[in-house]
Amino acid sequence: MNPYNPIIALLVFFGVVLVLFLIFKPKNGLFFKYQKVRKENEKTAIEDILKLLYHDANISKSTIFNELDFSQNLLLESIETMMDSGLIKKEKELFSLTKDGHEYALRIIRAHRLWEKYLSEKTGFHKEEWHKRAELKEHELSGEEVDDLSTLLGNPRYDPHGDPIPTKAGKIHEKKGILLSDLPVFNFGKIIHIEDEPIAVYKQILEKNIHLDSQVYMKETSKNRLVFESEGEQFILSPIVANNITVISLDKADVVEKDTMRLSNLESNQKAIIIGISKECRGENRRRLLDLGFVKGATVSIDLLNPLGDPKAFLIKGTAIALRKDQAVKILITKR
Amino acid sequence: METKNIDKIIELSNELRWQIGDDFHDNLTEAIYADASKIVEKTVVKDNKKGAFYLNAKIDQIVTSKIWGFPIMLLLLGLVLWLTIVGANYPSSMLASLLLDTIHPFLKEGASFLGFPWWLSGFLIDGVYLAVAWVIAVMLPPMAIFFPLFTLLEDFGYLPRVAFNMDALFKKSGAHGKQALTMSMGFGCNAAGVVATRIIDSPRERLIAIITNNFSLCNGRWPTQILLATIFIGAVVPSSYSSFVSLAAVVGIAVLGIFFMFFFSWALSKTVLKGEVSTFNLELPPYRTPLFWKTIYTSLIDRTLIVLWRAIVFAAPAGAVIWLISNVFIGDQSIAVHLIHSLDGFGFLLGLNGVILLAYIVAIPANEIVIPSILMLTVMVTGAVGGAGAGVMFELDSVTATGDILRSGGWTLLTAVNVMLFSLLHNPCSTTIYTIYKETKSTKWTVVATILPIVAGFIITFLVAQIWRIMS
Repeated sequence: MNPYNPIIALLVFFGVVLVLFLIFKPKNGLFFKYQKVRKENEKTAIEDILKLLYHDANISKSTIFNELDFSQNLLLESIETMMDSGLIKKEKELFSLTKDGHEYALRIIRAHRLWEKYLSEKTGFHKEEWHKRAELKEHELSGEEVDDLSTLLGNPRYDPHGDPIPTKAGKIHEKKGILLSDLPVFNFGKIIHIEDEPIAVYKQILEKNIHLDSQVYMKETSKNRLVFESEGEQFILSPIVANNITVISLDKADVVEKDTMRLSNLESNQKAIIIGISKECRGENRRRLLDLGFVKGATVSIDLLNPLGDPKAFLIKGTAIALRKDQAVKILITKR
Repeated sequence: METKNIDKIIELSNELRWQIGDDFHDNLTEAIYADASKIVEKTVVKDNKKGAFYLNAKIDQIVTSKIWGFPIMLLLLGLVLWLTIVGANYPSSMLASLLLDTIHPFLKEGASFLGFPWWLSGFLIDGVYLAVAWVIAVMLPPMAIFFPLFTLLEDFGYLPRVAFNMDALFKKSGAHGKQALTMSMGFGCNAAGVVATRIIDSPRERLIAIITNNFSLCNGRWPTQILLATIFIGAVVPSSYSSFVSLAAVVGIAVLGIFFMFFFSWALSKTVLKGEVSTFNLELPPYRTPLFWKTIYTSLIDRTLIVLWRAIVFAAPAGAVIWLISNVFIGDQSIAVHLIHSLDGFGFLLGLNGVILLAYIVAIPANEIVIPSILMLTVMVTGAVGGAGAGVMFELDSVTATGDILRSGGWTLLTAVNVMLFSLLHNPCSTTIYTIYKETKSTKWTVVATILPIVAGFIITFLVAQIWRIMS
């Protein structure tokens, strides 16, 4: 009479767990697929085409199909709508932006880069996620919301990857730089931009702890690898990865960071002077460090080592402050 | 006119912000520090007391050394817990004999002398008074020992070193080293542990510490664990090992709680909390001699009495509810019996029973009254000998007699193991829930902190019950 059986109960339980897993599986669970389908509308497609054309003018229909992850029908419809409303023009089967289209594209780019700036300053999302989240958010923000966002962030000029943010009036100061792989041997440069696409390459750069706005000194260039120094550490990159980093070439006179190293490399009996905090340390984290006294010119030394290795306690302004390694790499010092 | 001016000013400030650039905050802080150090040079006279500084460094080297750092920490935590649990026994039993065995009958007699109807004296004295008295007797002594000891260690300056030593472990699960302290505080009382998370100034890590604090086995739950381990688990092995095995079982549950704390910290930081701002810094202040009496006083007032008061406020209505459901009849059975029967099926699935689930529902205000409620409800349902009447909670002096009553209610070793697990993994008490709400000011996180442990409890007890039944 009693249908209970522990084995059946367990099977039912695992069945329920499996169903929940399939629905909420990260990335390609049914729940997320449903969300994606809902997001896939004409507005999003139009705006993504505009961005694509902004970066690469004069491209064919098939390139658009290849580059964008939408159904062909939707893309065709979108292109038609855009032609009708004068956002794009077609010459010899190649598409490019009209003046209106150019303005619209800049608005989207402004929303994207401001949102990335917002994520970097005001939230705790990991760097890897900024781009993906901004790709979604750029289609949702209204013009007014974008302006409010800009005011909230103090009208920033650059996004966290070093890309310029278009102003409200649609002006943009593109930075002129060269690829890191083109920096000649024995020359100095400064990293002004780290590209976040493709994600696999970006992840490699993140893992190496290469920082935006740091100075580099090229030691070796060959077909297979680049060797350069930055912030007192040596980095080896393949040229493919190095192509995602943009630098400006520096004169010897402008080089200020010759003896610079990272606080994480300080030894326990040494004293050092702080040169500054890396641009990679942002938002609340940066302000905390400043407020604790990690400012230019302050003397710092190691107070205590940790039985587990991390964090270390540093003596700054007469106080012992423990910092984790991922913070210490972002503080630049010079040995005394 | 005025708004025009304001708009102009805002426009100007935006223009200036644009010109100043991103380094504005850096430069400002640098300037402030430069000014401050000039003032310090001019006005502060330094006393070159090398001695104190040297001693400080010496202590630091020992308590954070590779060899001594962790043993010292475990020893101190063990000592504090041992002093609390063993030391609280005596005042607790004194308070119990005073409040429960002397004043309670006295009040009943007084009420019947004054001619109170049975339901009024039952409701007020057996319900409300008894629950409040129980909470005071069980809760006050351990807290009055635990919190002052903890505060002394805090004032001495040792606790930041614990956070320093432990940080690497907590970082792996996305948490802050200071969570080691709020977790230990949770061994005393989860509500106090939640308040203590104020020391974590990073928003994400603080939420993690708040939500996972309930996985620290609190004072209200230690006695339940010890009692059940003694009755059921100690009985499995030969009597010469029984006390050791039951102790190991209790410690095992506490360690399991720490494991769950790490697991859920990791899971939370990777999912729902990953967007919250996360920062880290930990100041290691110099050691100083604690102000003994001041510490005792403030810890009693700030921590013990506030928590106790909240517990009493929540326990009183709980006592009333317990009495009412046992004495109000629908048809020919009391509400409690109806509830127990409707919960029995679900309870069986979890390796528990309806009585236990009902006891955990009515004991949401305070974990301390779980065992008395279970005993009262078991006697009421089975009609076993003993007990103090419908709706009157009781506990027995004899562990064997308690075991007999529970066995008569159908308890097996599986039931005991699952109640121990469920006691670790269930919703926080209402005092803690209220405190979480006050600290986070967020219904969302309060709900998460409440639901998360009980879902974990359902899953774990369910799995244990099924596997146990398949194996046996």
